[in-house]
Amino acid sequence: MTFRMKMLLPVICGLMLLAVSGCGSPVKPVDQIEVWHWMTDRHDVLEQLAKQYEQETGIKVKLELFAPSDAYTQKIIAAAQANVLPDIYGILDKKSIVAAFIKAGFVMDLTPAYQANNGAWEQSLFAKALETTRFAEGNASKVPPGFYGVPIDTSSIQMVYNKNLLKKAGIAKPPATFDEFILDIEALRRVGVTPFVSGFGEMWLLDCFASNYAFNIMGEQKVMQTLRGEVPYTDPDWIKVLTIFKTLRDKKAFIEGIVTKGNKYSEQDFALERAAFSFNGWWCVNVYKGMNPGLSYGVVPLPAMASPFPLKSWGGAGSWFVVNNTSRNKDKAVRFLQWLTAKEQQVFLSEKTLNLPANREAIRMIPPVLGDFAKAMDNMTHPTIWPVNEDPLVIEAFDKGLQAIIIGEKSPESVAQDVQAVKARQMAKAKK
Amino acid sequence: MNIFNSRYVLERVAKNTAVHIFLMAAAAACLLPLFWMIRSSLMSNATIFTDQALFPHEFNAGNYATAWVRGNFSVYFLNSVLYTVSVVAGIVMIASLAAFAFSRLRFPGRDVLFYMFVAAMMIPLPGSFVPLFVMMSKLHLTNSPLGYILCMINVGLPLSILLLKTFFDKMPQDLEDAARIDGCSRVQILWHVALPLARPAIAVIVMYNTLNVWNEFILANLLLNDKSLMPLQTGLMAFAGTHQVDYPVLMAGLTITAIPVVAVYVFMQKHIVKELWTGVLVG
Repeated sequence: MTFRMKMLLPVICGLMLLAVSGCGSPVKPVDQIEVWHWMTDRHDVLEQLAKQYEQETGIKVKLELFAPSDAYTQKIIAAAQANVLPDIYGILDKKSIVAAFIKAGFVMDLTPAYQANNGAWEQSLFAKALETTRFAEGNASKVPPGFYGVPIDTSSIQMVYNKNLLKKAGIAKPPATFDEFILDIEALRRVGVTPFVSGFGEMWLLDCFASNYAFNIMGEQKVMQTLRGEVPYTDPDWIKVLTIFKTLRDKKAFIEGIVTKGNKYSEQDFALERAAFSFNGWWCVNVYKGMNPGLSYGVVPLPAMASPFPLKSWGGAGSWFVVNNTSRNKDKAVRFLQWLTAKEQQVFLSEKTLNLPANREAIRMIPPVLGDFAKAMDNMTHPTIWPVNEDPLVIEAFDKGLQAIIIGEKSPESVAQDVQAVKARQMAKAKK
Repeated sequence: MNIFNSRYVLERVAKNTAVHIFLMAAAAACLLPLFWMIRSSLMSNATIFTDQALFPHEFNAGNYATAWVRGNFSVYFLNSVLYTVSVVAGIVMIASLAAFAFSRLRFPGRDVLFYMFVAAMMIPLPGSFVPLFVMMSKLHLTNSPLGYILCMINVGLPLSILLLKTFFDKMPQDLEDAARIDGCSRVQILWHVALPLARPAIAVIVMYNTLNVWNEFILANLLLNDKSLMPLQTGLMAFAGTHQVDYPVLMAGLTITAIPVVAVYVFMQKHIVKELWTGVLVG
């Protein structure tokens, strides 16, 4: 045997030893809860809370972070197939996928836990946040009705305004109605300030803006009737919704290139005081703090149109966890989530990460800007909780139509006809 | 005559200038992102969006320390070194044995087996995630460095085998015959004759797989759970939140992670050029 071969042998033996060491069956301690999450910005704070929980109860909470969220989703799907899901995890996917996890027995029905002690846990959380985790009686996925998740924070999308720029234009307070908004836009233009920026290059944000006004102009019932195909998009109320974008365009409200702007760039514009108003989600508090800590801004709902119906904003549950129904630690996991969503922990989470708490009482003790985002919580809505959802091709036609109106390529009437044509085609396909 | 000379000189200068301008533009296009990364890593969150100057007005070198500590780089760096060295060594060892067998040995099903290896290159990695995870889970090789190393060796093998086989195919039969006459066994022919000649191909394999393993994190995220086992790229995720990114610290982290790869690239590039010429002369 040559010297080189003699050198190779220990390497091969070492590799084999490593292989053997890897083949041991992993043993999970009983007094340990394993949580898999994707929230990079909340990991350190969750670690602190986990340590506190261990000190209080003796139960160790092992937090494992997998990011970005796409990689996390793949990990969860693979772990479900191999039946090695952790005690607590999140499903970052459509409700139909959540339903598939429930049907496969990987998600615990938390309804009894929520309703224990006269529903104390349920009542401590925002109903709109809980709604996202609920499957109602007779749901399309045929999942037994109940609550299947625990929201650890909430979401809200509102209008933010720059106090200094409004002052420069002589505007004393932010607009409450759409007419006031138009007057403010004119005042801002007179002093050379760009009135409005938003990430309208991202279809979902544009869709959200339009949806808020659709609820305001025609009410929830008529919006749902449209989604069911009972009311056409050429209805005068839908023309009114589309005309909002034409009016804003005619008044030169939008920043240049708004239909190609991603939300990150619109956040940059607002943070650097290049526009007076922006339509953005609660996360912007964190973003603006990073980009321009001295930015003076406030939060208001979108200025409503004169109508008997309230303007509803997209929001509700933010991040939410589920408990693994196959876990032998599932009761301990539920107790940990109850502790995590209690007022004290929610205030701590909110203060440290600048996210909106899921606990109702915590809302009074968080930073004022966040509190303003949370004010409208009872008036929130979201496509995930609607009884019926629009066909993706119709949504695409609608959002592209909005962009066409903003750049002056099409009129509201022609966009309405285009969208209705797609809707009719998709409905005919569905009937077949 | 003078006119012809001066025209020739002019043409040559014009051609050289055009070529140099093109090469300088290409070099600038390659180097500008690296320069911008280093520039941004020295800025603060407050200035990164406002200071548009080529060289920042205020330097904030503390981002590197922040990235190292917050990204837990001391642990991840060692992990990445371990994974890269093990995977590259494993690939070179297995690929050279396999490629030599496919090229020089006659056995039933040789071509079918080889084309199966080559076909494996066509399967995108994310497409095999679920079956891979299930298999590794059944073998109790998830959350284990060995499991990750084996998977990464598997990822790098097809192309490496293809490269080496192509190289071994071109090796003259006379060299092998001469070695046999001198009393070499097949393993000795591989070790003493084929592998020294294949150094340029091995250099390419080492470089390609080093880059591949060093920059990988999706498979690591899938197979590993413990933070203490994660590679360097995972540390970078700490700076990219769901809705916001700490750009200066992220850029500092990216610079740290890029340094070893650039070093390997520079080192191996010289080696390849040198060995390529040697290989040509020997061949």
